[in-house]
Amino acid sequence: MGKLDGKVAAITGSTRSIGRAMAEAFLREGASVVVNGRDQAKGEQAIAEMGGGDRLALFVGDAAKQSTAEGIVDYAVERFGKLDIMCLNSGGVQHTAPVAEMSDEEWQLEMDWNLNSVFWGMRRSLQHMIPRNSGRIIVTSSVEGKGAKPGIPGYNTTKHAVCGLVKSAAKEVGTTGITVNALLPGLIETDIVRDTGPESAKMMGLDSYEAMIDMFAQESAIKKPNTVEQVAAVAVLLASDAGRNMTACMFPIDGGTLPY
Amino acid sequence: MELDGRVAVISGGTRGIGRAIAEAFLRDGAKVVVSGRDQAKGDQAIAEMNDELGATGNVAFVQSDATKRADCERLIDTAIEQFGRVDILVNNAGGSKNNAPVAQLTDEAMDYALTVNLWSTLWCTRKALEHMIPQQWGRIINISSVEGKMGKPGLSTYVAAKHAVNGLTKSCAQEVGTLGITVNALCAGAIETDMMKTEGPPAAESMGMTYQGLLDLFAQESAIKRLNEVEDVAAVASLLVSEAGAGITGSLISIDGGTSPY
Repeated sequence: MGKLDGKVAAITGSTRSIGRAMAEAFLREGASVVVNGRDQAKGEQAIAEMGGGDRLALFVGDAAKQSTAEGIVDYAVERFGKLDIMCLNSGGVQHTAPVAEMSDEEWQLEMDWNLNSVFWGMRRSLQHMIPRNSGRIIVTSSVEGKGAKPGIPGYNTTKHAVCGLVKSAAKEVGTTGITVNALLPGLIETDIVRDTGPESAKMMGLDSYEAMIDMFAQESAIKKPNTVEQVAAVAVLLASDAGRNMTACMFPIDGGTLPY
Repeated sequence: MELDGRVAVISGGTRGIGRAIAEAFLRDGAKVVVSGRDQAKGDQAIAEMNDELGATGNVAFVQSDATKRADCERLIDTAIEQFGRVDILVNNAGGSKNNAPVAQLTDEAMDYALTVNLWSTLWCTRKALEHMIPQQWGRIINISSVEGKMGKPGLSTYVAAKHAVNGLTKSCAQEVGTLGITVNALCAGAIETDMMKTEGPPAAESMGMTYQGLLDLFAQESAIKRLNEVEDVAAVASLLVSEAGAGITGSLISIDGGTSPY
């Protein structure tokens, strides 16, 4: 018997990395899951690899767009009849730059991708969850949701902002059986970090990608990066019945990096 | 099972939060040592766990006073004697008494709160680390409180002691972070445990309200507008002691229904 038997979950940005690990963990615990990614072929490949059968579905779309952030919610309800767990996970940085050199285009992209997408998906989810007096919303923030690194101001800003959004929503729906929480992972060597890492390292004034990984690791107590499985385990706890009385929690999974 | 072969020590685990954690760990396959001041209550708790969980042989009780260093250290020694190792320590014993506004607070009241919450945590932790450091594996969970992050008038002893426990948690986590040992604090919201029923009424009086008023205040501060439950805390403890918990350390995790601002 799984901890999420009969539950329906949707996860933005889940064909790889943290979202993928959440999808796999939820499937193992008995949930039906809608995964999301921008690329049809990569999405289909991910679905095939996960092997979730009838309990797994793909919703293709760019999570930075309102049509996707809202559409995945509607699709989950249409496909599986309801939505119990919404993981607003998609996010990132396209081009790193310090504030003095940040372009309006990049800034807007990060606002849409990391903050507006979470708002759009959360609002739509709540519209489904509030009448049912039940639901779990889990937002992937970051260690940069409380801290900050030079060279990624849009990321720092939006990851802080989603924590504010999570707290507000949690207080609004606290008595309705819906919880709203944020996960604050430390550095994980995900595909997106490998893709943007070299540029980020340069912006932080570091020699190499490896130097950046090492810098993050050295900030932690465990002196190594976190893993996607560690984040997924917390998501399962928050999504399960045992998590019903945890809300507005900013849950660090950062190997002892953050001061609070 | 997740905790097969693991040995856990839980101070004050005969009832309340500690008991819920003991039961969760037993269900996951661990061997568990719990403590308490009262031998008869301890015997009863063991009998109940043996009966309800079929835990016979897997759970032991040590009569122990958390305000005494020798008793705290003996808890760890007992785990070694009975089960051969210590993998998990839950510093759960705590409390406060003779609360009053700071202007009228006695030294004894502050001393008691610091001893039962902070010193007991240090004594058990230091002794447990003697075993965890050589084996390069350990999980230490300090049962703190929402009052480890916030503050209430008239409760300064408890508030100060739980803030201090959170500080100890952070320092210790940094010290042993590369040794396979994690140290975290669980900041629980108010739960109507036996301890709350005993210590709550005088604490409420110190705050100038009724016991029911105190419970209502805690509930109204939260987003869920109700108190927490011991099972909420046990579920997070189970996560932290699992292999998946290896990446979480130095964290002050709120299990408070959305009360604390951070």
